[in-house]
Amino acid sequence: MSQQAELVELIATRRTAMGKKVRQLRREGWVPAVMYGPGFDPVPLQFEARNLQSLLSHTGGSQIINLTIPEEEISWPVLVRDVQYDPIRRDPLHVDFYRVDMTRRLTAEVPLVLVGESPVVKESRGMLLQGASVVEVECLPGSLVDAIEVDVSDLAEVGQTIYVRDLAIPAGMDVLTSPDEMIVHVAPAGTEEVAAEEAGEEAVVSVISEEE
Amino acid sequence: MLMPKRVKYRKQMRGRLKGKASRGVEVAFGEYGLQALEPAWITARQIEAARRAIVRHVRRRGKYWIRIFPDKPVTAKPAETRMGKGKGAVDHWVAVVKPGRIMFELSGVSEEMAREAFRLASHKLPIKCQFVKREEAE
Repeated sequence: MSQQAELVELIATRRTAMGKKVRQLRREGWVPAVMYGPGFDPVPLQFEARNLQSLLSHTGGSQIINLTIPEEEISWPVLVRDVQYDPIRRDPLHVDFYRVDMTRRLTAEVPLVLVGESPVVKESRGMLLQGASVVEVECLPGSLVDAIEVDVSDLAEVGQTIYVRDLAIPAGMDVLTSPDEMIVHVAPAGTEEVAAEEAGEEAVVSVISEEE
Repeated sequence: MLMPKRVKYRKQMRGRLKGKASRGVEVAFGEYGLQALEPAWITARQIEAARRAIVRHVRRRGKYWIRIFPDKPVTAKPAETRMGKGKGAVDHWVAVVKPGRIMFELSGVSEEMAREAFRLASHKLPIKCQFVKREEAE
């Protein structure tokens, strides 16, 4: 029920531009980034936007990446910890990489992938509402998986829900997300035509500062 | 129409609309979203008109979410009134929207239907908008 993580390669360059100078960097087609981890000093990095974007489009927060600086012939296993995006263009503005110590347990967010087709949706009796799309797990880096699959083909009735506790979690992995968190819920088909509250402008808004 | 039930102060200063939205910029509940591309004050009437356009188009299907709430009071003076004598009475309520903000979300309908519903809804709003999809883990 899970997809085993595979190693991905990424080429980095050390970054000298700091602070507001990274704007110039972005204009030149680079994306600023930083790499940090327990027991290591943070390393400012930069990536070619095109390479990084193609990597981020198919990598989740639980895929180990082999980050290489060719000039220095160094490489580190890292995880994507955080990505800041432009809210409109969706270009990455800054990326945080977490340097992994392969002998130390870490926490990571593993994406959830819905597989199968629910009979309720097939028969148009209901629709799937997705809640959590990732689960936070703690494990050794070697036990990480790319994604955890959630089989929705068993959802045959409206009102059924899959919670985090129902997931098939791979061995060696502890889930930190609350077990009661909803992942998928089957809601009845069709929105109830919510009658607009015709309160109108006449509705009274009480003012706290004038209540005393 | 949407408006707060209780507020701390009756009237507010106008403020400025600078920069882009940093919160509410991702499709969080549904599969599709309508994203603002310009800054604006969206009135409760406009939100209601857009909501009706969406509901009317997706009738009996799907679920929608309104991700903005008009919590800012706008005052106006009565017509033909001399200036002065203090700030006017609260006239209507607006939601402050910055570029990037997801204003509406839809789920449980086809992409085509969602696009058309949001196209109709965007004509009820005073700003340019774009259709966005939820980012899926691959």
